Amino acid sequence: MRKTFLVLTLLLLAGLTLLAPVQAQGCSADAPCEIDALIGFTDHRFDWAVERAAEFSAMFPQYQVNLESFGDYEILLDSYILSQEQGNPPEIMQLFEVGTQFAIDSGYFKPASQIIAGRDEVLGQAVDFDDIIPVVSSYYTIGGDWSSVAWNTSTPILYANLNILGEAGVDTLPTTWQEVETTCAQLQPLVDAGTVNGCIVWPNHGWFFEQWLAQQNTELVNNGNGRDARPDQVLLTTDAALNIVQWHKDMYNAGYYAYSGVQRDWSGAVQAFNSQQLPMIMTSSASAGGIVRNATENGVEIGTSNMVYDDEVGWTGNILGGATMWITDGLDPDIEEGAMAFLLFFSNTENSASWHQISGYVPVRNSSIALLEEQGWYEANPNFLTASIQLGDSQVTIATQGAIFGTFVETRNIITQAIEDAMLTDGDVAEIMAAAEEEANVLLEEYNLLYVDE
Amino acid sequence: MDVKREEAGISLATTAGRRPWRQRLPKRWYAHVILIVAILITGFPVYYAAVVATQSNTQIFNYQLTPSTYLARNWDLVIYERQLPRYMVNSVIVALVMTTGKAALALLAGMAFVFFRFPGKWLVFGFVLITLMMPTEVMAIALFRLVGIRLQWGGYDAMVVPFIASATGTFLFRQHFSSIPAELSEAAQIDGANPLQFLWRVLIPISWNAIAALFVIQFLYAWNQYLWPLMVVQEPTLRPVQVGLRTMRSGTETGDSFGPLMLGAVLVSLPPLIVFIALQKQFMSGFALTRDK
Amino acid sequence: MYAVSPLILLALVALAGGGWSAWRARAQGADPAIRSRPQLWGLLGAASAAVGAAVLLAPLNFCPFELDGDGNADQLNVLIGIFLLVAGAYLVHRVVMLLVGRWLRGEGLPGAGETRPGTFRGPAARLFALLCLAPTLTILAIFLYYPMFDTFQLSTQLARLGAPRTRFVCMRNFNQLLSDPDYGRTLLVSFFLAAFIVVFSLAFSLLIAQMAYRPITGGRIYRALLVWPYALSPVIAGIIFQLLFHNTAGVLNHILDTLFGFEVSWLLDPSIAPWTVIVASIWNILGFCILFYIAGLQNVPDDLLEAAAIDGASAWQRFFSITFPLLAPITFFLVVTTTTYAFFDTYGLIDFLTAGGPVESTTTMMYEVFEVGVVARNLGSAAARSLLLFGIVIGVTIVQFRFSRGRVMYGS
Repeated sequence: MRKTFLVLTLLLLAGLTLLAPVQAQGCSADAPCEIDALIGFTDHRFDWAVERAAEFSAMFPQYQVNLESFGDYEILLDSYILSQEQGNPPEIMQLFEVGTQFAIDSGYFKPASQIIAGRDEVLGQAVDFDDIIPVVSSYYTIGGDWSSVAWNTSTPILYANLNILGEAGVDTLPTTWQEVETTCAQLQPLVDAGTVNGCIVWPNHGWFFEQWLAQQNTELVNNGNGRDARPDQVLLTTDAALNIVQWHKDMYNAGYYAYSGVQRDWSGAVQAFNSQQLPMIMTSSASAGGIVRNATENGVEIGTSNMVYDDEVGWTGNILGGATMWITDGLDPDIEEGAMAFLLFFSNTENSASWHQISGYVPVRNSSIALLEEQGWYEANPNFLTASIQLGDSQVTIATQGAIFGTFVETRNIITQAIEDAMLTDGDVAEIMAAAEEEANVLLEEYNLLYVDE
Repeated sequence: MDVKREEAGISLATTAGRRPWRQRLPKRWYAHVILIVAILITGFPVYYAAVVATQSNTQIFNYQLTPSTYLARNWDLVIYERQLPRYMVNSVIVALVMTTGKAALALLAGMAFVFFRFPGKWLVFGFVLITLMMPTEVMAIALFRLVGIRLQWGGYDAMVVPFIASATGTFLFRQHFSSIPAELSEAAQIDGANPLQFLWRVLIPISWNAIAALFVIQFLYAWNQYLWPLMVVQEPTLRPVQVGLRTMRSGTETGDSFGPLMLGAVLVSLPPLIVFIALQKQFMSGFALTRDK
Repeated sequence: MYAVSPLILLALVALAGGGWSAWRARAQGADPAIRSRPQLWGLLGAASAAVGAAVLLAPLNFCPFELDGDGNADQLNVLIGIFLLVAGAYLVHRVVMLLVGRWLRGEGLPGAGETRPGTFRGPAARLFALLCLAPTLTILAIFLYYPMFDTFQLSTQLARLGAPRTRFVCMRNFNQLLSDPDYGRTLLVSFFLAAFIVVFSLAFSLLIAQMAYRPITGGRIYRALLVWPYALSPVIAGIIFQLLFHNTAGVLNHILDTLFGFEVSWLLDPSIAPWTVIVASIWNILGFCILFYIAGLQNVPDDLLEAAAIDGASAWQRFFSITFPLLAPITFFLVVTTTTYAFFDTYGLIDFLTAGGPVESTTTMMYEVFEVGVVARNLGSAAARSLLLFGIVIGVTIVQFRFSRGRVMYGS
């Protein structure tokens, strides 16, 4: 009897502890609701986000926004998925553009338009999605819905150390593949003399391949780059694709492209440029903040130009890169409101402008660009305008809108690997790309088997 | 009581003392030379890491091999902004609990195998033996499905419980106990001691060296765990050091500093080193003992 | 539809197992207890082989032998199926016949009769033993055996972490691996790295331990410094070595260039990068080996060495005829642990040092498990890779056991 009683009491206690958090719902200044967000930066850009989170928490004392920092987007996504599977996901995650289809398929997130549900403001934070620049809205609007809230948008551009270029007598920055080769030939004496370790670097990362594909107005997957219907073919053996890999290989064989041997080596590339071992780098416009600051400290003059393209094919446009902010599905309504309000605050006109200034990411709002022009920012910092011009001048075609498919993240790695294979082995470019295409197609087929309803 | 430890002590003493033929050899300067060269080679990466910990990125990329003045700044970043101490505390807790639990369970299991008879012992023994060849690394994914998804653990529990039983430890103690003279347990039984008293009063006191040896090895194992906590611990405040170090490394689109990362690496290597130095003597004799047949 | 009917397969296996057992029972030298009952023995052999053959395949519904939609059989699938059939039959047959044989000979089950003076007796003692073992056995069953079982299950599925469903794909994951030439390379890379890591770390550590084990001024300091690298996890080792070997920022190349006027493409050349990983791994594990060799060397009786020295044996002779054989158990232990390290623990180092490159020249099997399973979340394929790796490491361990048993016996 006593035993039964004991067991019942224990069960009751257990039940109460389970119920407790539910009863304590409702966010207040005394017991603020926590909003956790995963951010894919570790440097000054993360610090910027932390400051905005603190401002928001001060404005809305019923919320406490905590940011967690990740070294790269891939790790961040892994972490989010793992915590989802463990039943304890954070409220907000920053997701890079290639994860878009996966994010929709996963069912983890609630589309931003659903949360906003036609309102003009959420907790006093204005919505105004019409203000978002077209290249961004065309990428992230899927089926007429805003899936997520835009934050950081970038595009690759070329940075040059004008001091070193001047030493070699180069006075104009290259804008095409052919001009890069000429410039590198002019810089060769400096390499031979040991002043620099090579001519140009960019991280070996599928992103650059995708950009060059778009420049040549060629799609990455079938079915209208995945925008008309779910694609079932990855296209890695098109002339444009082979052209890119071949140029990569030629640049490496000529000794112009300085490869660190590590794939996706963003930091290594920037560091080599910052320490003046390499005169030119192509990397994200988001590195502008860091590169320019470092250059100023070291008395280096920096010049920027567009991402170089193949003059023989011509330039159609570039795709945006970067990430947007997604809100987890199934949140308590109060918390969901808070999360959405935070994201709207985070990307409002003033914050988008200040974000651009510290990082170099393209301002995603027309009003921010107007604000920056008003302040005379671009006149004083012409290097920060290069990316906006490149995206602004891009023609909107199926290719430059960017591909949408579920295994984009994995396919990127396959492409990166194939480019490395092409550079470092004697293998035939066409054969290497055919093998990569087959691998990517198998992955896509498997993905469709698991995610797509028959 | 302390038979085996004394024995070991004596044998150590003899190695230390009685060596006339060797004293006649020329001074062992060559040993010092080889050791110093070995330490210079193995120590260089650690030295360089420590040097980098005091540098800014530009200095690192200019191959500066001497310490610089950025230590304070890197220190601030690592200790206060990236909160290395918090990860350290997590790892210390996990390592201590895991190691203590492992030693306790292994001690009990080892004892059961040596001092008791029970039906199906060979089967049970085989059951434990086979796990020596089942590395958790290859099963990390399945383990995650169980611990992370089904049990929904994501903190100390997930880091400690699945690893608290140790086949290695069980065998260490089994071997250790097998080398104990049978008279000891016979005498204990004649004195009317029950198994628990025997364990507490006889076995544990003569096993400190083996326990220390296990402790050192398992502490390092727990401290260096990486893949598993990376998968299962998503709550930032609960992460252990090896995973926490990742936040000091940056990869996205910009050049972040190596300095803080290296400072973190050097700091993180200190606790296991301290454990080893503190238990060096016991560790050495603990493993020497288990070698006995 | 099956390429071959499962019943026919089982019948064939039973025939083979029964025939083999009956033949063995009649053979010269067979135990009288067995020789007197060849029919029984044969039947038992047939039954155990058939059960063994079905143990792995019945849960899979004999799918490796199934025909595809077009009525074709995949040769590789059938081969894998035959392997499973034979492996299961062999193992179960072997174990059953061994145990029944012992029982018929009246020897009892192995290990059960282990008597030692001083064991505790009686039901209370038995209960105590059970309680002592229970925690260990429970944890091992739940957190090792069950995941192992789950890994088997996963390996037959197409599964991605977070996907709404999984699909049973029979042997497809294995089939893909076995027909992929890259996997063969991964296998080679793993063995290459493991072989050199094991051999060099043991050789260097023995050399250094020889110097450090004797009482020497500053011995404790030497030992602590030598062990320091082992206190750094493989991940940290990878980060430090990346900094040292980096193609543009690496200080090592800078030193080489300044002193000797040449540079090495440590991380860029597919034929050099594996060596970079080997060097970093040896550096990482060396302290561990030194520790154990020091502990072992301190136990080598001095009188033996002295006697040999008086007999005029040179230092080398003393080392090879006395020290090294006496160290055999430690050497064996270190071979097993460093092999495990090389196969399973280096992925963290590789991840940070080379990320498996260049051109996958440092992609080991474990690193691939990590890449496929954790990074790409392709659980089924990762499980299949895990199992193949697991099987290979068991094979290596068994070979090491066989080899060392002979050596150890010879030595002592």
